[in-house]
Amino acid sequence: MHDLLKRLTLYVGAACALGLTVFATDVSAQKREGGGLLSGLFDKDDKLGQEVEPYVPGIWVDPDGCEHWVMDDGFEGFMTPHVNRKGIPVCRRGTPCGTMETDQFFDTNSAKINQAGQVRLEEFFVAADAVSYIIIGHTDSRASDGYNMRLSYRRANAVAEIAQRTGSRIADVRGYGERMPAASNETTNGRKQNRRVEIICLR
Amino acid sequence: MSYTKLIMATSLVGTLSACGDVTGESGGGLVNENKTIDYGQGNREKSLSELQAGIWIDPNGCDHWIIDDGIEGYLSQRLDKYGKPVCSGVGEPTTIVGPFQGNQTITDPI
Repeated sequence: MHDLLKRLTLYVGAACALGLTVFATDVSAQKREGGGLLSGLFDKDDKLGQEVEPYVPGIWVDPDGCEHWVMDDGFEGFMTPHVNRKGIPVCRRGTPCGTMETDQFFDTNSAKINQAGQVRLEEFFVAADAVSYIIIGHTDSRASDGYNMRLSYRRANAVAEIAQRTGSRIADVRGYGERMPAASNETTNGRKQNRRVEIICLR
Repeated sequence: MSYTKLIMATSLVGTLSACGDVTGESGGGLVNENKTIDYGQGNREKSLSELQAGIWIDPNGCDHWIIDDGIEGYLSQRLDKYGKPVCSGVGEPTTIVGPFQGNQTITDPI
């Protein structure tokens, strides 16, 4: 019985592959003929042919500068964000309206903003006048990942507190630690660029 | 023996229809070949890249770009540079803000 089952499975698998080959041949034949719009609308074969009809998207760029796949087949419209395989949106320009080099605002390992920095930030938020802000802290790769995650989040929160003081709305506060470097951590200058708090202004 | 053959024949049919299912069902309607043109503009077709969007705020308070060109509607999530939803608070949940019907040349019948 077991043997029969095994043979049956093999047979079914082969049949499936054969079936798909037949469909593929059918479709390519249809393409060669040019397949007019009305040809065999209610024909089963044509319906199978439609499975491979090309749906090549256009690109729509949203007001943030990020791309979306968009299609219009004459009746329906379709749209979805263009993200890469890691889920990161494909954008034509950067959205952050401010990147603070943290060296100018914080002492090493500290999440307390110095007096001059507080004044500068208040002025920044008043001038930016956005609907709301996303504030994201980052560090370089020295110290442990966990420590950097906490430090970057505490620094982002310190910036958000000043924003709130000016009456600004905060959409989100995050800390990415060393996980989203803007430059190489191999060089002094790169590490300096990585120690930053990004402010994304939402309009 | 004929019983075995019957099982095989039945499973073949079942398998083939399963193959069809994998590739998905699509509607049998007529569709235009160029999908990058906005056909909802009467005889003034234009590239889809020119569409003007508003913001629809979902029940969680997060933003989606919304476009209604008169015939088609488009909806696509607003994401920040890290791919997280943008929840700007620009309006109340389940409302629309901005000129999402700005480009339409056809009056929406609905």
